[in-house]
Amino acid sequence: MHTYIKQLLYAAILTGLSGCSLVEVQNPNVTDESFLGTPQSEAIWLNGMNRQLAVTLNNTVHFTEIASDNYYNNSSLSNKVFDIPNILYSDLDVDNMQRSIARLSQMADYGLHNVAPASRETTDNIKADMHFIGGYAYLIGAELYENLPLTAGGPVASAAERLQKAIEYIKAADALQNDPVKKQQYALALARAYYNLGDKQNAVAYADNVVKNNPMLLLQVAFDGVNGVSNTMQTYTFSSSTNTYAPLPRLDFLDPKYYHVGNASTDQKPIAILKGEEAFLILAEAALGNNNVDEAKTVLKSLLEVVKRRPVASIDAKLAQRKGNRSDYPLLATVEVKFDKASPARSGFVLDRQAGNITVYTVSGSSVTEADIDGATTSDQVLYLLCLMRQEIFMSEGRRMTDLGMRFPVSQVEQQNNKNVNAEHTQAIIPSYIPGQLGMDDFTYDKATGLVTMEVDMNKVLVQNKTADRVLPLLK
Amino acid sequence: MKLYKVSLLAILLWIVNTHPLFAQEKVHGVVKDAKSKNTIPGVSIQIAGTQNGTSTDVNGNFLLTLAPVTQNNGVTLVFTAVGYMPVSKVLNSADRTALLIIEMQEDMVKLDEVVVTGQGLNVSKRRLSTNVTTISAEQIKHLPVNRIDQLLQSQIPNAQIKLSGGQAGSTTIIQSRGLNSAFANSTPIIYVDGVRMDNLNTAPTIGMSLSGGISQGAATSALADIPVENIERIEFINGGAATTLYGSDAANGVLQIFTKKNGSGKASFNASADVGREYATNEYLYFDRTKDLLFQDGFYNRYSVGMDGGNSDFGYSMGASYNKSTGVLIHNQNQLEKIDFRVGFSAKVLSDLTYESSFSYNNQGLRRGRNGNSGGYSGLWFAEDGASKIIGPGFNPVLDELSEAEFARVKSFVDSAEVLQNNTSKVNRFTTSQSLKFQPLKELLIKGAFGIDSRQQREQSVVSMAFNRHIRSNNVGSLSNYDRNYLGLTLDLTGQYDYRINDFSFLTTLGGQLFRTEDRQIAYIGQDIRDGALTVSQAATRTSSEFYAEVANYGLFLQENIGFKNRYFLDMGIRGDGNSAFGSSIGVQYYPKVGFSYILTSEPFFADWNPKFINTIKIRANYGVAGNFPTPFANERTIAFDGFLGGQAATFGQPGNPDLRPEKTHSREAGVDLGLLNNKVSLTVNYFNNRTEDALFVVPPAASSGEPNVLRNIGVISNKGWEFSTTVALLERKDWDVRLRASANTIDNLVVSTGGAPSFNLSGMSSRTIQIVVKEGYPVGYISGNYGTFGPEGTLVSTTPQSFLGSTLPELTGSAGLNVAYKNLSFFANADYQAGGYLSNWDKQFRINYGASTEGVPAEEIAINGTANWLNYSQLFVEKSDFLKVRTVGLVYAVDKRFLGNVLKNLSIGFTAVNPLNFTASASDPEAVMPGGAQGQGSATTGGLNYAAYSAPRQFIGSVKINF
Repeated sequence: MHTYIKQLLYAAILTGLSGCSLVEVQNPNVTDESFLGTPQSEAIWLNGMNRQLAVTLNNTVHFTEIASDNYYNNSSLSNKVFDIPNILYSDLDVDNMQRSIARLSQMADYGLHNVAPASRETTDNIKADMHFIGGYAYLIGAELYENLPLTAGGPVASAAERLQKAIEYIKAADALQNDPVKKQQYALALARAYYNLGDKQNAVAYADNVVKNNPMLLLQVAFDGVNGVSNTMQTYTFSSSTNTYAPLPRLDFLDPKYYHVGNASTDQKPIAILKGEEAFLILAEAALGNNNVDEAKTVLKSLLEVVKRRPVASIDAKLAQRKGNRSDYPLLATVEVKFDKASPARSGFVLDRQAGNITVYTVSGSSVTEADIDGATTSDQVLYLLCLMRQEIFMSEGRRMTDLGMRFPVSQVEQQNNKNVNAEHTQAIIPSYIPGQLGMDDFTYDKATGLVTMEVDMNKVLVQNKTADRVLPLLK
Repeated sequence: MKLYKVSLLAILLWIVNTHPLFAQEKVHGVVKDAKSKNTIPGVSIQIAGTQNGTSTDVNGNFLLTLAPVTQNNGVTLVFTAVGYMPVSKVLNSADRTALLIIEMQEDMVKLDEVVVTGQGLNVSKRRLSTNVTTISAEQIKHLPVNRIDQLLQSQIPNAQIKLSGGQAGSTTIIQSRGLNSAFANSTPIIYVDGVRMDNLNTAPTIGMSLSGGISQGAATSALADIPVENIERIEFINGGAATTLYGSDAANGVLQIFTKKNGSGKASFNASADVGREYATNEYLYFDRTKDLLFQDGFYNRYSVGMDGGNSDFGYSMGASYNKSTGVLIHNQNQLEKIDFRVGFSAKVLSDLTYESSFSYNNQGLRRGRNGNSGGYSGLWFAEDGASKIIGPGFNPVLDELSEAEFARVKSFVDSAEVLQNNTSKVNRFTTSQSLKFQPLKELLIKGAFGIDSRQQREQSVVSMAFNRHIRSNNVGSLSNYDRNYLGLTLDLTGQYDYRINDFSFLTTLGGQLFRTEDRQIAYIGQDIRDGALTVSQAATRTSSEFYAEVANYGLFLQENIGFKNRYFLDMGIRGDGNSAFGSSIGVQYYPKVGFSYILTSEPFFADWNPKFINTIKIRANYGVAGNFPTPFANERTIAFDGFLGGQAATFGQPGNPDLRPEKTHSREAGVDLGLLNNKVSLTVNYFNNRTEDALFVVPPAASSGEPNVLRNIGVISNKGWEFSTTVALLERKDWDVRLRASANTIDNLVVSTGGAPSFNLSGMSSRTIQIVVKEGYPVGYISGNYGTFGPEGTLVSTTPQSFLGSTLPELTGSAGLNVAYKNLSFFANADYQAGGYLSNWDKQFRINYGASTEGVPAEEIAINGTANWLNYSQLFVEKSDFLKVRTVGLVYAVDKRFLGNVLKNLSIGFTAVNPLNFTASASDPEAVMPGGAQGQGSATTGGLNYAAYSAPRQFIGSVKINF
């Protein structure tokens, strides 16, 4: 009997000892040390950067669209205060945007300094791509934020400093790259960086290169709905059942830019980050800055040719019924639109989506005609058309807020973690000419006469404030 | 090795073979309450110094087999039962032939009750410096509630248990002694017969749409599927000194369920039926018509059977039940169906070796309606929050203003939207505990136990094309499956040596414990799928995802309890833990405790004085440490991978932290237990001062780092408070017995330090709306939002964002219970209350957004500014969350045994109302909270944000129970 007992106890002790293997766990994740130097690690990291670029656009484009006059958030999803615009440094969306831009540049640095050197398969073209994406992160950071640290937790740098950093990265990319098409893309990115810096000479030089060599240049960032990176702008302007975002009625014909047919996850449309049109817009603005109105008109007419050559699609958009906080959006093609109270009533801006398929401008569209350009005689009239074309061409691409002279503040979480951030950095830049209380999105709709009147024409406002900081940099 | 021959079969054969070896003798008896003379079922009877024993049957009878007469000289039987003073009976020769009648005195102070939880092995409460709450099967047997957490509502004096929502299987928020952590949920660790249960401390992480704590889900509870069958008793201890022996896992306390493993004599059977109706709790609805849109009257039924029996060598007990509730959402969208089964065995393998086993199985299926704000259609959001304006064809959101014809259109739309939903959750859960108790010496008891908890949950959410078309979405149909498979393994070996010399007694406990858990979550999703196709393989696009967490915790503990003259006790202990989730530079973590207990009334002078008004005084104080271990694998720096455009995509994973350690709650407690007025009144008073050091905060690093939130040991949280609980025997007569239980607990909670880190949110939406925030100098989880200042004209003048709008934690909580017995008729009522907390009634604020109401906003503001400022004066929608809720009221009649004949032993008929009465300071239900929030941390939760969540329904249930 006692033998049994002893055996049982022995068994218990043995179980306890053999339990040592029970204290071990296997981490299913990959540590950074074990990743570096593995086959194709540099290519996988680069693809991760491409993914992060898409994520960054997702975090920025739709917010800047509602912060501008392009769209009104007609639902309770997304951000309800950027529209007003009311942009606080404590807003988590401000932090998310800053964080995702920083992650993109941090990924570039880690890729260039850790991943690429450790891999024997790294090529110059891969390093060029990493440099370019890093440079693009600094570029959009400079366009969207007045102030941002250049490094993790580091001193706060001005937009100009960050644009110089962007130029440095993109030029480094250019030096490594041997694909001519990519080099043209880099040229346009440099033109844009110099444009933002107000460096007319360099902006024109790089833009001219694009206009001459590849006017139809198009660099788009792809999304992958199956892997969790859907195009949020597409979701909010087309896929969402509650028609989240509503366009300004005079831009109704440009909505949506992105759409799906069938399964939304597998049909996520890309967002253009660099396209040939921008080179024309830079050249036209530079021409106006040089008081050369005729040249500006010529450039804008050439630009119309590019826009016309861009693809269009025919889609069913019957579900866009604009029901939400405001349910008085015009829905009929017969509606005429006045850009503001003083403007004439014009037709062709509002689509009747119930009448059948609509035409979608997947890259660029514009209401401006050659006749409009011909009819513009003064510098300001041409400038107005330039502003309108910039707005229409870049619709849904996250550029308008910057063009209006608005900038995001450094986030509260950054301030709480970074002693270099002072109170001034935490203030958003919202110029005094920006009407508050949803004024940019406001309109009246007289259903009886079928007339929509915009509260304000922000392109007129821009022309009136062309000397203001942060807008129309090549006019200075 | 011979060793392996020792199988279960061999043990059983051996039991059978050992029976004839002795010339056995049997002792018959009955155990009665000394006052009422009613018989007491479930009394444990043990031969002192051995593991031999039995228990009384449903009528208080017992039959105990003894060794031959010659060996029985001086045999002492020890009778113990929850709520009674133990009785020791030395057997004389006459007792072996006559019917032994034992009378037990009720013990409201429970000074000599033997408890296990937190002590390694059996310890009399007298020796303990900490408080242990015990709940007997008797106390809960008439509650027709089929969830362990709901069953315990109002029953544990200093723990508050709140259902977070009314959807089937919704989680409960359990808090005792405030909130120790801003990282882990406050649910205590649950043990069943020494085996650690899954209590869902690892949150769903891959987007479980039904229970993931995201906006449209209702967090699912893993407590909801622990069977409530066959429970013998429950013990609860608070986190701190009481849970030190549980080490890195028990800062929130431990709740242990002990199951029945034997009966008495030949098989005794029981059966019960609970049948009733369920009604929606409508008083928190804003529009009268919402109840007509979304709710139905439901049916509840539950049938259970059980049996037990055995003798001193072998015992068995079994319980099984089937439960179905249709729920109160139309089209049975909250239906719950549940099968529970539990069986327990005990066997005397050798004269000094006892084997015990329990096994339980649960099968649960439930349905869920969409709730919260999912952006598309969800019932409450549609009806109560004004979203009807934008969903589907769009309606006037002011439901009560609609004409009958208009309302009929809304109703038709909602009816289709509800019937087209198909969200289900299924759980299969097996739990077993196996233990051996070995008592080689009278003074030495060794117990080894192991067990597993295996819980498989599958959630399925079908969003049909028909549903999408109905709500005018252009999305294709989808089928989302989420599996969460949990496996927990517990190993435990504990030895206890009980040594007495002169006036000293030493109780030395040494043990080791290991548990490991595996949590595997898998998502497999099909998109673009035909309606009616319910396997992912039929979808045009198929995706999957997986999450895996594994943790092992292992520790040794040593406890010494020294007694002097059976009234002075010193209690010391330490546990050392290793844990796979600790950082590489941390090593073993130690948890010490020390305390004393002093029974003043055991002093001879007190016995001489013998005052009537005060009978028991126990004074105690203690200090101890318990912990919460960090998230598994968060200690390692990793690279994260995902797919992107057909290839692998790498990015920064978690930042890692070699210094990651458990957060430790240091508790200091002093208390007194009193028995007053001939022990008709028991009163316990505690003061606690808990301080969580190295609190784990998930904090955001600088945005410029590009890194996501990181887990760091940087916080300090303080909880202080007083706890009072009393039981009063108001009336004790031959025919009457009236008892009142009441408790009151104060909580003073403060985030003492965030270690320089910024504030962060636990749940809620965004800083521009409402968040539940953790910030230095404030209570954990306060409501943060825009505070609007109004001018003399009544219009908004300014707004201060991120203002403190109120703490979600109540400052006062408590419960009360009343039991009245008159002859065979008994009445019971249980209630909970809280005061001093706040909630954000986001439903009310959100109604402004789509024009459903402007209630709560000054008319002048609306007249001048319209609703444009609706987000800028959130304080107008913050309400006190004070409540008094009556959880159960019931009446039970036990039919006189004279009328039962020979077959039936007992027959009782009862009627119970569950959740019958709610008295609340707020317009919304303080308990129906938004489950999580898209930007929240997920795990720690305080509630406090009410948004499109269902209230728990009312139930009126008739019950019949029989024993035969």
